Amino acid sequence: MELEIKNISVSLSNKEILKSINLVVKDGEFISLLGASGCGKSTLLKTIAGIIKQREGSILLGGKVLDKVPPYKRKTVIVFQDFRLFPHMTIAENISFPLKMLGVNKSEYRKRAIELLKKVKLEGYEDRHVDEISGGQKQRIALARALAADPVVLLLDEPFSSLDVNLRKDMRELVQDLQKELKITTILVTHDQEEALTMSDRIAFMHNGEIQQYDSPENIFKNPINTIVADYFAEGTYVSGHIKDKRFISDFFSINANKDNGSYKCLIRPSALKISKTRDSQFKVVAKVYQGDNYLIKIHNTDGNLKLESILVDPVDIEVGDKVSIELDKDKLIFIPE
Amino acid sequence: MKDISSNKPLKIFIYISLFVILAPMVIITLWAFTNQWPWPNLLPTNYSLRGIKEIFAPYGKVFPILISSITLSLTVALLSAIIAIMTARAIVFYDFSGKELLDFISMAPNLVPSTVFAMGIHVVLIRMSLANTPLGVIIVHLIYTLPYTINIMRNLTESIGVDMEHQAYVLGASPWKSFLYVSFPLLLPGIIASITMAYILSFSQYFVTLLIGGGKVMTFSMIMVPFIAKGDRTLGSAYALVFVLSTLLVFAIINTLLKKFQKREEKSNWN
Amino acid sequence: MNKKTPYILIMPIVLLGVLFIYGVINGIVQSFGYIPAFNLRDFTLDYYIEVIKSPAFLDSLKVTLHISLISSILAAVLGTILTAALVYTGHAEGKVLKVIKLAILIPHTIVALFSISILSQNGLLARLFYKIGLINVQSDFPLFLYTKNNLGIILGYLWKEVPFVAYFSLSLMSSINKTLGEAAENLGASRLKSFFHITLPLSMPAIGKAFLIILTFSFGAYDLPFLLGATVPKALPVQAHVEYIHPDLRHRPYAMAMNGLILLITWTMAGIYYLLSSRNRIKGDKHEGY
Repeated sequence: MELEIKNISVSLSNKEILKSINLVVKDGEFISLLGASGCGKSTLLKTIAGIIKQREGSILLGGKVLDKVPPYKRKTVIVFQDFRLFPHMTIAENISFPLKMLGVNKSEYRKRAIELLKKVKLEGYEDRHVDEISGGQKQRIALARALAADPVVLLLDEPFSSLDVNLRKDMRELVQDLQKELKITTILVTHDQEEALTMSDRIAFMHNGEIQQYDSPENIFKNPINTIVADYFAEGTYVSGHIKDKRFISDFFSINANKDNGSYKCLIRPSALKISKTRDSQFKVVAKVYQGDNYLIKIHNTDGNLKLESILVDPVDIEVGDKVSIELDKDKLIFIPE
Repeated sequence: MKDISSNKPLKIFIYISLFVILAPMVIITLWAFTNQWPWPNLLPTNYSLRGIKEIFAPYGKVFPILISSITLSLTVALLSAIIAIMTARAIVFYDFSGKELLDFISMAPNLVPSTVFAMGIHVVLIRMSLANTPLGVIIVHLIYTLPYTINIMRNLTESIGVDMEHQAYVLGASPWKSFLYVSFPLLLPGIIASITMAYILSFSQYFVTLLIGGGKVMTFSMIMVPFIAKGDRTLGSAYALVFVLSTLLVFAIINTLLKKFQKREEKSNWN
Repeated sequence: MNKKTPYILIMPIVLLGVLFIYGVINGIVQSFGYIPAFNLRDFTLDYYIEVIKSPAFLDSLKVTLHISLISSILAAVLGTILTAALVYTGHAEGKVLKVIKLAILIPHTIVALFSISILSQNGLLARLFYKIGLINVQSDFPLFLYTKNNLGIILGYLWKEVPFVAYFSLSLMSSINKTLGEAAENLGASRLKSFFHITLPLSMPAIGKAFLIILTFSFGAYDLPFLLGATVPKALPVQAHVEYIHPDLRHRPYAMAMNGLILLITWTMAGIYYLLSSRNRIKGDKHEGY
C-alpha cells in the first residue's frame, strides 16, 4: 500500500528531531532513508510505526490516516538492528508470536512458522533456542517473524550493520528477493551509501531532521542538490566558478556544462579525473595509496592551491614525485548551484 | 585458582563461617526433639516428639495459625510484588510530574526504623478502625516490604528496557499482551525474588505484628516468641524448626509454580 | 503512550506512601505533646528535654549505640573478609552461597533462641568449657545474656549481619576482581596488594552501604534486645515501647519523643555516611584527574 508522510514534526525531550518531513512511498516500492547517525532516520521509522508520537503532521497508509491507530494495529512492522528476539521463546515461538497475538490456533501458527523458516533458509531450526544461533541466523529469524505479522509496510532499521561484511551481502540479497516476491512496501534505514544505492528504488537523504533530497539512486549520486548530499556519496574537490552559455568557467579550467547560467561549484570526484605521466606539467603526484582493487593517487598543482585525487586501476609506472597531465570526464563532473 | 596454597587461610575462614552458620541450626534441630538434656551433657539423654506433636496436635490452635500466618504473608508478598512491578514501570518508563518525589517516597520506609514507624502509624490505624485487624497488619507489612521489592523490580525493569515491548507492539501485540507474553516472563526471576523477600520480611515480623495486630491477629512469630522469651528450648526450637521448614517449603512452591511460566528455564534444565 | 498510564501505575504506592508519611508525622506531632484525644493540646519541647535529661534515657542510648556500633563494625570487617574469601576461592556462587543466604533468611527471634541455647550458663558452650575443664560449675561461665555487656545480642547480630554484608557486596567485589584486580596482578601487583589497592577500595560503596543498613537497623531494632537484653538499661526501641504501652496514657509523648530521637540519630548516621562517601568520591575524582 502507498505510504504518505505529511508534514511530520517530532520533538523528543524538547529537542526537535524531525522538521516537517514529507515523503511518499509507492505501493511495493523499496526506499532507503540514508544519513549519518543522529539525522533522525530511526526516529522517522518509529514514528511511522507509532512507537513515537508526532507533534505535527499525519501519516497515511493507502489513503487512510493512521494517527489514531495504535502501533499494534498498524501492520507497520520494524526489524530492529539488535534483532530483539524474545529470549524466553524458541525460534518457532518467536516467529509465530504475531500469529498467536491474532488468535490463530497453535497447529496452524506452527505450520506457518515452519513455512517462513524455509523462506529464510533455516529449515529445521524451529525448536532451537535464541541463544544457540549466530548473528546472521538471528537476523533471518527476525525477518521471518516480521513477515509473520503480515506487514503492509516493512521497516528495516539498520538491519545489516551488526553483521560481518560477508554475511551482509547474502542478507541483502535475501531481503531483496523476499521483498520482490511479496511486493511489500519497504523502508530501509541505513548509513551505508553503498547499501542504499544497490538496494533501493529511491533514496531519501536525511540531514538534521530534514529530507535533503528524494530521488532514484542514479540521480541522487549524479545530481546531488547540495554539497552535503554530494559529499555523503563520494568526496572530491570543489572548484568554484560560474556557468555562462552552457560553459563552466573557473580559475583553473573551463568546460562544457549543460546547465543554466549562474554561480556553481564543480565537484571533481576521483572517478572523474584521468591522469597520465608526462614530462612537463603543473601537477605532481604527492601520494599513492594502495586500496586493494586500485590505487588512490593524490596530486597537487605547483601553486599548491588545487589538490585532486584520482583512481588508477593499473599500478603502471606512476610514482610519487612524477609529473602528470590531467583530463576531466565531463559526464562525471557534478555542478551544484551556489 | 592460580595459587591454591595461598588461599588456605581464606578457605579456613569460609569453613569456620559455614560451621558457625550451620551449627546453631543443628543444635535447635536436636532441641526440637529433646525430652531431657541435663547439664553437662553435650548431647540429649532422651528424645521425644513432644514439641512437634504440640504444634501439629489435631485439635490444637497452632497449625491453623501457621496456615493463616502463611496466607497473610503470601498476601503481603503478592501485593508487594504487584505494586513493585507497577511502581517500577512508572518510574522507569514514564515521565510524569512528581517522579522524583515518588522515587523518594518509595524508598523512605528504609530510612525509618520499623519500631518508630509502627508506633506512629498505630494511632492512625486506630482512627481508621484498622488496628487489630488482619488488613491493618497487611498494610503495615506491605509498607515495610515495598522498598526492597521496588528496588529489585526497578533494577530488572531498567535492564530489560522498553525495547522488547516495542518490538511486540509492532508485531501486533496490544500493550497488555506485550506485557503478559514478553515482559512478564522476562521479569519472572525478579518477581520470584520479590515475593520471597517480601514473604520472609512479613513472616519474620514480630514487633510490628504485635503492635498493630494488638494480639488479635495471630501469626506464627507471635506464638513462637513467647516460648523463646521464656527460654523453653524444646518448644522454642520446635517452633523455630517449623518456621524454617515451612518457609523453605513455601519458597519451593512459589518457585515451581512461577517457573512453569518460564519455559526457557525448563528447557535449559533438559539440556 | 497513554498519558494516564503512569498515574494509574503509581496509585497504590502513592496511597501507601501517604499513609506512611502521615504515620511518621503523626508520631512526631505527638512527641511535641499534641494529642487531643488524651486532652493534651500544648505544643512543647518539654518531653524531649525531659527525656534527654533523664539518666535512664542516657543509659539506654549508650547501650543501644554500644550494641549497634560494635556489632556493625565487626560485621563489616568480618563480612568483608568473608566476601574476599568467597571471591578469591571461587565460591562467588553455588552451595556455599546458599548457606549464607540461609542465615539471611533466619529471623532475629530465632537467632535469639540460638544465643540462648549456646551462650547461656547451661548452654552448649558452657558445657564444652566444663568438659575440657575450663570451668568447674555452671556459674563460672561468663554471663552473655540479660546483662549489661550485651554480648549475646552483639553475637546474635554478628551471626546475621556478617553473611548479610558478604551477600550484599559479593557481586560488586567479584566483578571488580575479575576485571581490574586481574589487570593489576598482570601489571605486577601481588595478590594482597591488588586487593588492598584496587579491589577493596572499589568495593567500598557496597560495603559502606551494607554497613549503613546494619548500623541503622540494629540501632532501631526491637527483637534481639527485647529477648536477650538486661532489664535495665533497656535498648531505646524497647524502652520506647514500654512507655508506649504504659497504662497512663500521658506517657505516650515520652515514647514518641524517644522515637523522634531514634529517628534523629538514624538520620544523622545516614547523613554522616553520605557526607563521608561523597567527599571520598570527590577526592577519588581529583585523583583520576591527575
